[in-house]
Amino acid sequence: MVGPDDAGRDGSRSLSGGSGQEELMTNGDAGFLLQPEEPPAWAVRTEPGPQEEEMRLPNGGFPHFLPDPQPEPGDGAGRASPPAGAALEEPLRSCCLGPDPEGGAAVGSPPPPRSGAGTESPSEAAAGVRTPRDCSDGAAAAGTLCPAPLGFIDINLNSRNTYEVNRRRSAPEHLPHGGTPATAPAPPQEPTDKTKRIAIPGSSSGIADFITRNFFTKRTKELKPGLHSAPGWKLFGKVPPRENFQKDSKIIQQEYEARTGRTCKPAPQATRRKTFEFEPLSTTALILEDRPSNLPAKSIEEALRHRQEYDEMVAEAKKREIKEAHKRKRIMKERFKQEENIASAMVIWINEILPNWEGMRTTRRVRELWWQGLPPSVRGKVWSLAIGNELNITHELYEIFLSRAKERWKSFSETNSENDIEGVSVADREASLELIKLDISRTFPSFYIFQKGGPYHDLLHSVLGAYTCYRPDVGYVQGMSFIAAVLILNLEEADAFIAFANLLNKPCQLAFFRVDHSMMLKYFAAFEVFFEENLPKLFLHFKSYSLTPDIYLIDWIFTLYSKSLPLDLACRVWDVFCRDGEEFLFRTGLGILRLYEDILLQMDFIHIAQFLTKLPEDITSEKLFSCIAAIQMQNSNKKWAQVSENNNVTKSC
Amino acid sequence: MAYAYLFKYIIIGDTGVGKSCLLLQFTDKRFQPVHDLTIGVEFGARMITIDGKQIKLQIWDTAGQESFRSITRSYYRGAAGALLVYDITRRDTFNHLTTWLEDARQHSNSNMVIMLIGNKSDLESRREVKKEEGEAFAREHGLIFMETSAKTASNVEEAFINTAKEIYEKIQEGVFDINNEANGIKIGPQHAASNATLTGNQGGQQAGGGCC
Repeated sequence: MVGPDDAGRDGSRSLSGGSGQEELMTNGDAGFLLQPEEPPAWAVRTEPGPQEEEMRLPNGGFPHFLPDPQPEPGDGAGRASPPAGAALEEPLRSCCLGPDPEGGAAVGSPPPPRSGAGTESPSEAAAGVRTPRDCSDGAAAAGTLCPAPLGFIDINLNSRNTYEVNRRRSAPEHLPHGGTPATAPAPPQEPTDKTKRIAIPGSSSGIADFITRNFFTKRTKELKPGLHSAPGWKLFGKVPPRENFQKDSKIIQQEYEARTGRTCKPAPQATRRKTFEFEPLSTTALILEDRPSNLPAKSIEEALRHRQEYDEMVAEAKKREIKEAHKRKRIMKERFKQEENIASAMVIWINEILPNWEGMRTTRRVRELWWQGLPPSVRGKVWSLAIGNELNITHELYEIFLSRAKERWKSFSETNSENDIEGVSVADREASLELIKLDISRTFPSFYIFQKGGPYHDLLHSVLGAYTCYRPDVGYVQGMSFIAAVLILNLEEADAFIAFANLLNKPCQLAFFRVDHSMMLKYFAAFEVFFEENLPKLFLHFKSYSLTPDIYLIDWIFTLYSKSLPLDLACRVWDVFCRDGEEFLFRTGLGILRLYEDILLQMDFIHIAQFLTKLPEDITSEKLFSCIAAIQMQNSNKKWAQVSENNNVTKSC
Repeated sequence: MAYAYLFKYIIIGDTGVGKSCLLLQFTDKRFQPVHDLTIGVEFGARMITIDGKQIKLQIWDTAGQESFRSITRSYYRGAAGALLVYDITRRDTFNHLTTWLEDARQHSNSNMVIMLIGNKSDLESRREVKKEEGEAFAREHGLIFMETSAKTASNVEEAFINTAKEIYEKIQEGVFDINNEANGIKIGPQHAASNATLTGNQGGQQAGGGCC
């Protein structure tokens, strides 16, 4: 049904982005059918017949709407199948109730039917019946359609989507058009609808038609002309819940149609409306089903072809969905398995390893378990133990430095800092205290917890401030905030500080955070030795662009990968870093290069640099760790320590 | 991908003045109020057109903290243009311009075009540095000057493009030796054609250039 030409003109557009027109049209989840004399919705909009305008404007849509539902069944009953009307009352009522307030609010000009607001009760059907009549009178006078039913339908359909309702309120003059689309009862997706529609057109016209118009629900009529004169719009989306709803409504509509214009419309709408409010997604689109009346109708073959194409698209989408569902299921299963593993590992760590830490930490079994990743519940504890506390920092010491930091901050804010800072000797980097503030909120900004007012903001501030006072020779250096943040996420405040201070006291970290350029270069040189050994092709590729390791390693090493890798993955790197030491940091770097080797080989300087300083977010621990495992930290039988020693790097402290 | 020239830019200035946000605004046309802080260096690239020629800008966005100066210094090499950024709402970032400028002059090619940028011009109410001061500083040190707002995108495009225009003019004048990549200029893959026009304009001054 989605004719290519149609698509070209109005085709499928996302609901949200659509113009008012489109939004209104959206309502018909099935093709809506205009009354024969009515121009297509857009045409109406731009050039509404004066009469029509008159008729419709007063209608405003909503006020009529309420009473209408009642009368409609009544009318319908008179005309076609009375019992059906009764059956439909329930849904109707609910429907009315829903949109009613909106209608009332929206419309300034309440025509008589409005009074029927109370019409919910079936007993008031009489009043309802009267309404259409009023309408018909009006219509007769005007010589046009009865606006009331239009309004009614319109609203119902539209009410499915709050957005539309709102729109309409703000632009009531569009309502009439909206009414047109309302005719959309026939679910376009059902081939049966198609055929029905095709069959119906012939029947619509003449006085009978006119009468029907007045008394019947639009629906019947709409159905008829739809095929050639009216454009049909349908919602096209791959959101399963919506589909279900569409199906529901389709079935209901079909029933309704079978009953010749019973007002069953509202019922599905009322329900739908709730769900639809939140539904429009990026995958939702509008599809113009039939050509507007000012264009020649599709030939049957063409219509069939479009139908077929559309069905194929739907089938395709369904297939995709099933596939995705399978994938999701698989992922869930894996996750479940992972959780189980973590749970069982946790028991081992808590009951066996931690109580015998010194004796077991270097055993093969523990090392292997360690490589798998530490269970989050013991992670902080294991990190603390592995990092150690050779600085013998106590909780009291932390408190002392924290209070000193607080004093400094206070004096900064009192003396407007600038002069103070200038006066401080370069060696005293306590001055960098001021910088911390700037960086806290720039640390893991996407988590929000470190933002001003976030739960961890002050904590991070404290740990970094205390460290700056504790090691004024190092001071606060950018990158530290990420390390402290990861520790805070896994340890109590004072313990985080202790781990932080001891971690930064390790030779590699000290070299980097003091920005000891010559030492850093030696680390880079050692890294390149293993780079060439493990990934010779990529190594040459980088060389050809003079792409040096500092470009990507500085970020990785300064933040221990916590800025460049997803946090859970970074924590796993930290796990093994705590086990293996600095060597593992560089091994991880090579693992990343290995993981993306094929891609990187295709890139030029700027793309490599951009890629490595902003790694893909979908990097998985499984893949990365298998690549890291494949990296040999042996260079002609020399290990990292020896190589870096040769480079005079390892200068233990 | 075809470009006539590639210019290397470096963005420098104190931490938190908005260097990364300027870059993001220029390359992605968006503003991120809270940006990851930059450790070491990050990169951006964009194609622009000057005088009908495609020019690729390769932009190095550096960390601003004092501690990283020694690292940043090594990135000046081969830059044809530098954006020296301060924050108009923080006077200290303006006061530090002199040391930045010294660094830049000392470690870069002497022809490097420097654009002084007073960023965050949208925060007029918190302004601490008058526009005239920025202009005076630029005049005094022979820099181009602009006030920008990475948030509203005001002048961002202009800052990057005017710098490129200046570099381009220097090439036209023959000040830059485009064959020496240490100048931060590379001739594009399709250089044959563009270089021919260039040498035409230049009266053959740079003839033979480009085959690098």
